[in-house]
Amino acid sequence: MGAIIKGIEYVYPERKITNQDLTNDYPDYDFSKFEDKVGIKNRYWVRDNETALDLAKKACDMLFEKHSKQKIDYILYCTQSPEYFLPTTACILQDYLKINKNTGALDFNLGCSGFVYGLSLAKGLINSGQAKNILLVTAETYSKYIHPKDRSNRAIFGDAAAATLITYDSKEYIGEFLFGTDGSGYDKLIVKNGCSNPLELVPNEITYGTNNMYTDNHLYMNGPEVFNFTNEVIPNFTKEVIAKNEIEFENVNQFVFHQANAFMLNFMRKKLKIELDKFFIDLEDGGNTVSCTIPIALKKYSLNIEEDKLETIALIGFGVGLSWSGGIISIKHKL
Amino acid sequence: MKKTEFLTRLKEELEFESNLEINTNIKELDDWDSMAAMVLIGFVSDEFGITLNADDIAAITTIESLIQKIGQDKFN
Repeated sequence: MGAIIKGIEYVYPERKITNQDLTNDYPDYDFSKFEDKVGIKNRYWVRDNETALDLAKKACDMLFEKHSKQKIDYILYCTQSPEYFLPTTACILQDYLKINKNTGALDFNLGCSGFVYGLSLAKGLINSGQAKNILLVTAETYSKYIHPKDRSNRAIFGDAAAATLITYDSKEYIGEFLFGTDGSGYDKLIVKNGCSNPLELVPNEITYGTNNMYTDNHLYMNGPEVFNFTNEVIPNFTKEVIAKNEIEFENVNQFVFHQANAFMLNFMRKKLKIELDKFFIDLEDGGNTVSCTIPIALKKYSLNIEEDKLETIALIGFGVGLSWSGGIISIKHKL
Repeated sequence: MKKTEFLTRLKEELEFESNLEINTNIKELDDWDSMAAMVLIGFVSDEFGITLNADDIAAITTIESLIQKIGQDKFN
């Protein structure tokens, strides 16, 4: 008995923000270098009345145009943009999709490591006989958290949702996983207020980095520290994931890392001595969509593979938490 | 590394428009931004095996101060 990824669909919001749009908002900043180094041309942001759940619904509708939802018996919903404090967003999604009531449904709060976590949970549910057909959704709208004058984060982050179908199979297509956590870095990427700390009515505006602004009601990212954490931890972690799966580095057909930013990805790629064509980098359209980057990348990559030729893919997620996760999967069809 | 070479390499890596002098305050350059900070951290890590953290980045002013942070012994 094993588990297999059957399909992935993703959506961006309709509102497309180009680098030219950002130049209009921040006329003193030259985005051409940003485009070149960070690799992002557009990102998509939801409108005020649109939520991550709205995006998730669309992605799921697309998925179920191609696959049956009759046998879904578990919904895993990864988000840091839940619809409400309570109830669980996955429950609302069950009702919207009219999925059987004898289904499990839960939300889990993770960012860039979330998709790989979701896969490992799905595999665990399937291989322990608790579920057979799992809907894994990642949905994120960081744009709602970013201060209007936080140019750097507005340029990097985009909104998206991805829906992935994982089912049982007679063979195993999902390999071994490893995880990492360092909560001492919890405040390196954080939205402080809005949960147990109420939003402040007149929050203090703080300037940071190079003329970026945030308040404790908004998203804050300590760029240098997140960059250093990633470069110090992730290359070795990647090697450990490969070793755990008892495969050789050169037998991995593609490395799909969380698409954080192109410069950082290339920095790690060089450290790991991975050839360009084996290392997925594509943030041009969409930017950093947090837990959605890996399923989006996986979908895009799969569209170019040969049918029925087994591909071994390493998935590595890392970021807010600090949290990281990695695993190996095999695919042999377009997702 | 020679300090003159460091100045040239730094200008190349960070794609700064203007030439750098030892007492140039990089924070005052138009080209300085959080992306330049990221590229700088990567360059220093690659070349010198030294990790500049957020406090280091905040504290740096002139190239000389950056050299001191990296360590004078790394330069000849």
